[in-house]
Amino acid sequence: MDFRNLPPVREQIMKCVRCGKCRSVCPVFAEIRTEVAAPRGHVFMVQMLRDGKISPSNEVYERLSNCLMCETCSINCPSGIDIHELNAAARSYIYENNPHLGKELVFDTLWTKPSLLKAAAKLMWGAQKTGLQAFARRTGLTRLLPGDLKKAEGILSKVPSRSARSILRTKNSPRGEKKLKVGYFLGCGTDLLNPQVALATVEVLTYNGCEVIIPPEAKCCGLPHIANGKLETARLLAVHNIKIFNAYDFDYVVTDCASCSSALSSKNLEFLLGGLKIEEEAKSFAARVMDLNKFLLEVIDIKISEKAKTKKTKVTYHDPCHLANAQGIKKEPRELLNRIPGVQLIEMAEANRCCGGSGTYALTHYDLAMKILDKKMDSIMETGAQKVATACPSCMMQISYGMKRHHLAGEVVHPVELVSQALSSQPARK
Amino acid sequence: MDRKKVGEELLKRLGREKVLTDELDLMYYSYDSSFLTKLKPVPPLAVVLPKSTEDVQTVMRFAYENGINVIPRGAGTGETGGCVAINDGIVLDLSTFDEIVEIDVSNMQVIVRPGIVHAQLNKELAKYNLFFPPDPGSSQMCTVGGMVANNASGLRAVKYGCTEQYVLGLEVVLPNGDIITTGGLKSKAIKNVSGLNLTKLMVGSEGILGVITKIRLRCWPKPKARGIAMAVFDNLDDAPATVLEVYQAGIMPSGIEILDSSAIEAVNQFKPEIGLPAAEAILLFEVDGNPPSVEYEGNTIKEIASRRARLVEWATDPKRMAELWEGRSVTAAAAARVRKDGSRIFAGEDISVPLSKVADTLRAIRKLGDKYGIKVVNYGHIGDGNVHSAPVINPENPEEVEKVQKLVHEIHLLAIEMGGTTTGEHGVGVVRREYAQLEHGLAHKYMQEIKKVFDPKGIMNPGKLI
Repeated sequence: MDFRNLPPVREQIMKCVRCGKCRSVCPVFAEIRTEVAAPRGHVFMVQMLRDGKISPSNEVYERLSNCLMCETCSINCPSGIDIHELNAAARSYIYENNPHLGKELVFDTLWTKPSLLKAAAKLMWGAQKTGLQAFARRTGLTRLLPGDLKKAEGILSKVPSRSARSILRTKNSPRGEKKLKVGYFLGCGTDLLNPQVALATVEVLTYNGCEVIIPPEAKCCGLPHIANGKLETARLLAVHNIKIFNAYDFDYVVTDCASCSSALSSKNLEFLLGGLKIEEEAKSFAARVMDLNKFLLEVIDIKISEKAKTKKTKVTYHDPCHLANAQGIKKEPRELLNRIPGVQLIEMAEANRCCGGSGTYALTHYDLAMKILDKKMDSIMETGAQKVATACPSCMMQISYGMKRHHLAGEVVHPVELVSQALSSQPARK
Repeated sequence: MDRKKVGEELLKRLGREKVLTDELDLMYYSYDSSFLTKLKPVPPLAVVLPKSTEDVQTVMRFAYENGINVIPRGAGTGETGGCVAINDGIVLDLSTFDEIVEIDVSNMQVIVRPGIVHAQLNKELAKYNLFFPPDPGSSQMCTVGGMVANNASGLRAVKYGCTEQYVLGLEVVLPNGDIITTGGLKSKAIKNVSGLNLTKLMVGSEGILGVITKIRLRCWPKPKARGIAMAVFDNLDDAPATVLEVYQAGIMPSGIEILDSSAIEAVNQFKPEIGLPAAEAILLFEVDGNPPSVEYEGNTIKEIASRRARLVEWATDPKRMAELWEGRSVTAAAAARVRKDGSRIFAGEDISVPLSKVADTLRAIRKLGDKYGIKVVNYGHIGDGNVHSAPVINPENPEEVEKVQKLVHEIHLLAIEMGGTTTGEHGVGVVRREYAQLEHGLAHKYMQEIKKVFDPKGIMNPGKLI
């Protein structure tokens, strides 16, 4: 689709009055502090691109990509501009004019094929297991990695030996009477890096009467592609996933990953697929997509026995941007945590401020991502919490790295892990 | 001197950390919030990010020697093109020169660098139960330096006045590199009538006389209580009449805001859940002070407003106050969204007229809107006659742009005709400079003479204010 015809480019650029509200809320601007990092500046650059006043060069891409896609600017924009969509559209337009083999390999070949992605994770696990990664670090081989990757390779948490998909069955029967047929959108991050979250998700859903199906043909949600200038690939992935999931006739499509649920939301699918033939199918799909926290609270209305033998734990909750900003889901994960006996929820300052992980951002902009992370870690440390709960694999990875970086002992978990533990420590059902 | 050479010379003097010369980076400094720069953005020759008075002095000496224009800039939230290099030049981005030098609690003063953001300053002052009262709508992003340069104010100007009332002294780097201190070299006095008042001259001078590098501000104790009254009127004239009666009852609210029917309609269209009553005008009074006085003043306002208003409500409960105030707080955003294929623009947005002429002015603006077929959303600080008109157009439609420029010109002339001014708090910059002669007559000539004293080479933010 032509960049200039994308709805945000066509309809929203002119709405920017450059009031600067976005400057005051942007976590990247707070660190860089020149207009070059201001979201309104990005809007201006997209306008210049649209009008052909600047050429779609890598230099422009570099400036536009200095953005977390956290959507803080968009939700605070008095003129209602989806600044992140404009940015994504422009990145894609520039990329199309400056294709890059490395990116094609990562985003078109590897990240569109779950089997290849899994193989890559396996390789990584092997490297970590055999000490190859440590060897590479010791010998300085990691310095050969391009750009910020050489510094950022430490962020990648310990890759588990088995992915969630290789542990879980496609079809998972409900305990007791079947109440709902749920499609579980198992995202790449949860699948490969946090399989324990996926196991907890399936456990909690089946415990609560859901038949859980994990379509084996499902692919990445496409968010990494949107953020990296690969809109067309994201479009193909969306179309693929919609067709796969719609074929099952699910009551709900649930995901534990904030990024996936935002990528599969009607808002994002409208951005990706607006005006295409599949729009109606997309709407029907998106209407069924729901974040796991919201689902457990609003659809299941989950109850956990007060007699559950859980330990008293101080927990603080970090809002993933793709949940709080992109979908307005803030109270649900907190309410879910509050329903767990023994959990004492302590609010951190600026819980909805980005942690700096933002998918691939921390890998490509390491130094800035660390500055943003350090602010988040200060907020976390002030709470004295033993556990940090959050609902996004990227946030989990980034905050876990923050724990390591600040020599903290706390654990980073998804709320559903705590729910699952609490359910399993309840007295047996009669 | 060409752009490349200017960049090289500045880099030599200040280093890579403080100078932007890349053509793409410079484009980010080609705009502010004005309609003018939306239509015609102009990038500067270079951008300097000074971190000290000496950095500013270095830039000024270089610029003075070489006859290069210098344009001071804060957060770039102004609506007049004032911080844009419309005639070429070096932009001084002062927003990172933002230290709070000293909070002097015992003298109720604070000394800051120009880049400190207004809300951030008040957050720090709140720790000492103090505040810097002027409160522009852009509090979260605008810099105090920008506020001083534009003599900014806001919702609470009706009681607390404008920035000028709080500026006790300034450090200013002049175009030739001289550094002066106004308000007394060593003075921390609150009252000071020694010498010509250069502080007042600098406040609101929009960067045409020098670069402000340090600001000594007077702070006030933070009021303990607050209340909001909302009054709904079926007759527009009843709104200013009520405001006058409130004043005559010896009450000075901290804010008096008006939404006319166009703003009420826009708010209800944008957020129907707020459910503002359809009316000719809604007034919102804010009262602050000590709890008993707030209660007394609130009840008096309620009694006075009830004589003319269809509906009056007074609240001190924080939740209800927020609900009552919500209509006003979303007005600007509502104006921006009143038309799907349009945008509100910042032009003709800041006229100020005598209180007795507010109703006539609002009616006249509505008529002008009809004449040009342009939707105009009106709201503002009626307590001091400051009307914010928000024309809503498609800024990419040349025909609409042409029409709105005519409309804006007529709004400015209307303000002068009503015995008011083209700008109450946003400033003149480029966009209202054409009215200077009309507004000031012979005084305009003396303003130009004063500029020459400070800036004989005319390099300091030329083409603005006068």
